Amino acid sequence: MADLFPPLATAQVDAKTKVDEKVDYSNLPCPVPYDEVHREAYMSLKAENFEGFRFDFSKGLNQKFSLSHSVMMGPTEVPSQSPDTTIKIPVAHYEFGANYFDPKLMLVGRVMTDGRLNARLKADLSDKLILKANAQLTGEPHMSHSVFNFDYMGKDYRAQLQLGNNALVGATYIQSVTPRLSLGGEVFWAGVPRKSGLGYAARYETDQMVASAQVASTGNVVMNYVQKISEKVSLATDFVYNYFSRDVVASVGYDYILRQSRIRGKVDSNGVTSALLEERLSMGLNFLLSAEIDHKKKDYKFGFGLTVG
Amino acid sequence: MDSTLSLKPRGKGKGSKGASSSNDKSKYQLLKEWSNWSLKKAKVATHYGFIPLIIIVGMNTDPKPHLFQLLSPV
Repeated sequence: MADLFPPLATAQVDAKTKVDEKVDYSNLPCPVPYDEVHREAYMSLKAENFEGFRFDFSKGLNQKFSLSHSVMMGPTEVPSQSPDTTIKIPVAHYEFGANYFDPKLMLVGRVMTDGRLNARLKADLSDKLILKANAQLTGEPHMSHSVFNFDYMGKDYRAQLQLGNNALVGATYIQSVTPRLSLGGEVFWAGVPRKSGLGYAARYETDQMVASAQVASTGNVVMNYVQKISEKVSLATDFVYNYFSRDVVASVGYDYILRQSRIRGKVDSNGVTSALLEERLSMGLNFLLSAEIDHKKKDYKFGFGLTVG
Repeated sequence: MDSTLSLKPRGKGKGSKGASSSNDKSKYQLLKEWSNWSLKKAKVATHYGFIPLIIIVGMNTDPKPHLFQLLSPV
């Protein structure tokens, strides 16, 4: 009996070192969805900066069902003829929302005072197939968009089929090649501007960093790198290049997650500096401060808001 | 002889093709019109009914919330 124990212990130690050294290619982890290849970078670099005043009130009636009321007052940009001047029109609206969260079904709907509906649906059709739908419906004809996604999650790959209105069809596929590297591709065809496109993406991640790159036939090349300095701090940098229009943008951003607050900011090569602070004043009460300064266009946006619930 | 023989099937073919093409055209048009009509109705139904659908589904889950909780601002 005593003879059994020493061999077991050595077998465990051997297995552990073997896993560190040798990769089991039949047992790779499932990769992130193709849309979220740049997820960590966009958490710091594409923070939701806003202008004006914002108030969000969220009331839960149930564990699964909640209502939300939000008020937004501030200037919104209107596209102008010349790229130098920005035209802003002050606007105020109220938005009512209802959310239903279930492990198998998620329904989110938001309706504004001007009649615009923003609807999202996520249903688990089986344990590997997920249906996601997203729609923006307006009263005006030909201004509504809707997209349906069918996601299939395989053992170490994900495939997605996308159908949208105005004859939009797209498909993406992403596969784990090693435990840290995943490669993917996408193809789409849009009916209304008769365009088709192709794209490739690669993502390499470890515990401390994530590097990802994406190339598309529309001419966009995106590369970004995120380094997690500690549990509270992560830094990100991004490089976007369009080889048809020769536009280049590089940005550096940070994300500090502290106990009572979260502050994210970035600096751009277009001369844009922005920051977003979310401070937890007490349980369920969050204070938001947003600032975006565009030195080149001389456009200064400041916003503050409160989120309850 | 050959020419007449070859003409006849061609004529028949053309005739039948003509009839079936007009049939096919109308079938295709019917399908397009029907799908357009149903999509328009589905869009209007979703626009007006999505939020009430969420509220009805949510009010019927356990524990059932009261109507008062739905309407009060607290």
